[in-house]
Amino acid sequence: MLKGNVIQVKNMSKNFNIYFDKANTLKEKIMFWNRNRKEVRNVLKDININIKKGETVALIGTNGSGKSTLLKLMTKIYYPSKGSVETKGKLTSLLELGAGFHPDFSGRENIYFNASIFGLSKKEIDKRIDKIIEFSELSEFIDNPVRTYSSGMYMRLAFSIAINVDADILLIDEILAVGDQHFQEKCYDKLMELKEDNTTIVMVSHSLDSVKKLCDRAIWIYDGIVKMDGNCNEVIEEYLKVCR
Amino acid sequence: MSHFKEIFKYSEFLKSNVKKDIRGKYKGSFLGVLWSFINPLLSVVVYAIVFHYIMRFNIEHYLIYLIAGIIPWTFFTTSINSGMNSILFNANIIKKVYFPREILPISSVTSGLVNFLISCIIILLFAIFSGVGVGVSLLFLPLVVIIQYIFTLGVVFILSAIEIYVKDIEHIVNFIISMLFYVTPILYTPDLVPTKMRFILKLNPLSYIIEAYHDIFYYKQIPNMYNLGIIFGISLIIFIVGYNIFRKLQKGFAEEV
Repeated sequence: MLKGNVIQVKNMSKNFNIYFDKANTLKEKIMFWNRNRKEVRNVLKDININIKKGETVALIGTNGSGKSTLLKLMTKIYYPSKGSVETKGKLTSLLELGAGFHPDFSGRENIYFNASIFGLSKKEIDKRIDKIIEFSELSEFIDNPVRTYSSGMYMRLAFSIAINVDADILLIDEILAVGDQHFQEKCYDKLMELKEDNTTIVMVSHSLDSVKKLCDRAIWIYDGIVKMDGNCNEVIEEYLKVCR
Repeated sequence: MSHFKEIFKYSEFLKSNVKKDIRGKYKGSFLGVLWSFINPLLSVVVYAIVFHYIMRFNIEHYLIYLIAGIIPWTFFTTSINSGMNSILFNANIIKKVYFPREILPISSVTSGLVNFLISCIIILLFAIFSGVGVGVSLLFLPLVVIIQYIFTLGVVFILSAIEIYVKDIEHIVNFIISMLFYVTPILYTPDLVPTKMRFILKLNPLSYIIEAYHDIFYYKQIPNMYNLGIIFGISLIIFIVGYNIFRKLQKGFAEEV
């Protein structure tokens, strides 16, 4: 990895196998070995991205262009078909709201459970729990089972946990759209604060105004390739030209 | 090596998984966690009736012999069953969060281990009250347990990873396990087996482990160290091979589950 980089994507391609009629069982695999029709879809093509410590980067592009897949590759949920993706430092991703929440457990129990998935120890969670509850504004509901939460409350809790993990790199996938005006602003304030603290943030977002406020740099992904990479305002300007 | 460090960093996740496993399994049932002890005991009772009273097996303290074999066997089968499905059943978090995937099979086998260690108290109680008693051989229990843990975890690594790609491995494994039960000296002692067929027992790694438990709890003698050495070697090989298979296959988990 080059010096100064915290995320380095090098000559990376990602293919997905799309099965039309997937042979899942052994019998099907043997009997229908020739029927295993699949199509290889090339989702990302020869991507090169270097992200330095403290940068805030927005990934923009139309639906299905491969932005979320790229984030998942950075988190190591997916692995590249070709090339490499390397990251340095503690990485937390918020790809989907409340992944791993247990509906029957209380909000407080879920904080412990969810934060432990992010790799925190019990002590570290104990230290943060008040901060998390306060940020989520769930005060009196925190001991209720999560299944009784509204989607906004759910999202607030999930976001509060991820943002208080103290990661070096934070990956966020289009999740701030939920939550009311007040909470959205609060999230952006918190992200600003993290940015000041030199946290590297990579986010996928369609709300370009907030992207402009938060990010220094934008990468436009178009049909699996990096179409443009550079100053946030310039890239968004070009992007909007095409969109209109 | 750095990977082991990472697994260690996620030990809180492992702990909460184990807790959830043990408490969550019987959530809502009247007797709760007790079921994990009652179940093997009930099968012990059935086997004792069938083989001792009906078939007239003449093994002294047959009940203790059965318990000393069946409870470790239950540790093995429950770990295999829950471990094998651990990746599949957690598909929702596999697709959305990164964590070392090894944590899931490790926690399945570890919850099996915790259950087993508690069940050992039952074996001891039976041994004491039936008059068999306990001996110094008990000091060797941790060694045998560790070997069994490594062996089981290695097998679970392989099966849980393969199951994502070939779903019917589960049925094959269930069949093999029920066959294995009869080629492991649990219901009978090895010397009841015709000499010609004893080699089958020798080929089964589990029979060495179960025999070691019999030595510890039933015969109150030091387990055969030579055999234990062999099975320890086999376990290590299975563990290393299994771990590497898992590492290779885990890259596709999020796409395949």
